[in-house]
Amino acid sequence: MTVTDRRPNRSASRNLWKWAAIAPPLLFIALVAGTAMGETSIPMDVVLKVLSNKIFGAAYPVDRIDSGIIWSYRLARAVVAACCGAGLALSGVVLQALLRNSLADPYLLGISAGASTGAVAVAVMGLGGGLISMSMGAFAGAILAFAFVAMLASLAGGGTGLRAAGVIVLAGIAGSQLFNALTAFLIAKSANAEQARGIMFWLMGNLSGVRWADTVTVVPAALFGLLVCILNIRALDAFTFGSDSAASLGIAVKRVQFGLIGVAALMTAAMVSITGSIGFVGLVIPHAMRLVVGTRHRALIPASALAGAIFLIMADIIARIVIPGQVLPIGVVTALVGAPVFALILIGRRAAV
Amino acid sequence: MILRCENLGWRVRRKEIVSNASLSMNEGEMLGLIGPNGSGKSTLLRMLAGVRYPSTGRVYLGGTPMAELRQRDIAQKLALVEQHADTEERITVREAVELGRTPFLSVLQPWSHEDEAIVLHAIAAVDLHGFENRNWHTLSGGERQRVQIARALAQQPQVLLLDEPTNHLDIKHQLAILQLVKELPITKVVALHDLNQAMICDRICVMHSGRIETLGAPCEILTEERLMKTFGVCGHFMTDPFDGSPVIRFHRAHKED
Ligand SMILES: Nc1ncnc2c1ncn2[C@@H]1O[C@H](COP(=O)(O)OP(=O)(O)OP(=O)(O)O)[C@@H](O)[C@H]1O
Ligand SMILES: [Mg+2]
Repeated sequence: MTVTDRRPNRSASRNLWKWAAIAPPLLFIALVAGTAMGETSIPMDVVLKVLSNKIFGAAYPVDRIDSGIIWSYRLARAVVAACCGAGLALSGVVLQALLRNSLADPYLLGISAGASTGAVAVAVMGLGGGLISMSMGAFAGAILAFAFVAMLASLAGGGTGLRAAGVIVLAGIAGSQLFNALTAFLIAKSANAEQARGIMFWLMGNLSGVRWADTVTVVPAALFGLLVCILNIRALDAFTFGSDSAASLGIAVKRVQFGLIGVAALMTAAMVSITGSIGFVGLVIPHAMRLVVGTRHRALIPASALAGAIFLIMADIIARIVIPGQVLPIGVVTALVGAPVFALILIGRRAAV
Repeated sequence: MILRCENLGWRVRRKEIVSNASLSMNEGEMLGLIGPNGSGKSTLLRMLAGVRYPSTGRVYLGGTPMAELRQRDIAQKLALVEQHADTEERITVREAVELGRTPFLSVLQPWSHEDEAIVLHAIAAVDLHGFENRNWHTLSGGERQRVQIARALAQQPQVLLLDEPTNHLDIKHQLAILQLVKELPITKVVALHDLNQAMICDRICVMHSGRIETLGAPCEILTEERLMKTFGVCGHFMTDPFDGSPVIRFHRAHKED
């Protein structure tokens, strides 16, 4: 077998141009697929006609109902799925690199626990008297939990390095436990069975009920997160040998750590407030991409964002079609599909080495 | 570039790890840092490198207090080779050495031919030619150490701090690396345990329990009394029949001595 020269491109900017060329077509295909497939399959030409009508103001004659399903329901849903997948994957990349912990995932910092407490407080306790939505409650809860974890970590922390990273992980565990307990307490105290089931469903992560209005939150969150990650590509690389090593390479360690972890947390909180806590993506997509494109962030950041987006669109398609007449929570699908795919990548990689 | 520190101290929980360390490196010299385990060599080096903030005192790099410099400005002038540096990431030798260019590249600045040449040169300097695409976790201890040194060389520093750079190396590479460091026309500080190797330094600084005991030329500093006092060993000084340089043989001190 002849191996072509696979010397990776060392230039961050040239790498990004390459990804900027690859990503849009793939993303477009995924979005169209996400729009065409579902309980009722809509022919591809109808999808494309509706999209050109809506986006470019074309005037193809299409069925009103088809048009509604495609535009208001499925496309919005696919866009949210894409942003959410990209955001969670980026968040995972950042946390794994900075905490130097391969088990770090976006929910490590107490965000999903806080979001569920916030959502339950609004949905069950009626906090805010109907003025604030469940999403807003979830977002506030997530930020509150993250602030708690960050405060705990900085009180217990001290210094930099692996010990500080360990302290953050432990603070995250403590915060998550606390907020999970609060959630359980609220549910036990005042939820009826029906409400409890609805909340469970929401907590597992799901995209039903997602509309265009939700993209106002998730699209900026994903784009902002991606931009911040791209601007920190070299800083993330510099953490390879730990934070002392990063400092000796000229990285303002504290500032980068606080800034990036903060952005990862905000981005995750925004996603969770719209879709609930979709598991697996933030943990496994970064690992899968490390196996495919390597550990350097000039490739890992764009690859993870793209893979996360496509993966979640696909998972949502499966969630909608696998059981006729019923939509599975997407969190269930991500794990059910993702785990075997990840296993295949792991095994394939072993054979290749 | 001149590196200097005044009354440096570092404390954890009221325990003085390093105290009152004042040093002034001369332009282009090689300063050896010796002392028993736990005497504070690594801690002092980290403070000098600006990766750990001193509890008391100041470090001056080229006359400017380090606290006033940006981390990136420091890294453009000064490089540190840590005693232990490890990673779980799958990174190649070349990628590890490329990290040395970090302080010189802005976010989207392209990788230039010059960067490439510097990296390849650094890899060749530590005798790792042919290892460029090997994975970090497949390297031996000494090879990893040489990668770390190459990474520091790729920073093209004017001050180089090395924490026990030879502790995993075979004898040939120990000599080669020390000679390489010695010949660099920059200011160097090297923490070492092998006192015979420390003879190569222009000056030697002896540390004990976080304090600088003495500082001076190797042949003045390394005396039988000093070895006894600082390290608790007996040393016999002999003369190398080939080049006339001093050689030390060590024995354990007997309790009753
Ligand atoms: N964060 C810390 N907390 C408590 N003690 C510490 C800390 N860091 C270092 N020390 C202690 O400070 C002393 C000096 O450590 P340092 O690593 O500087 O020694 P060293 O001279 O480099 O030793 P070696 O020759 O073994 O490398 C040691 O006794 C160590 O246990
Ligand atoms: Mg040491």
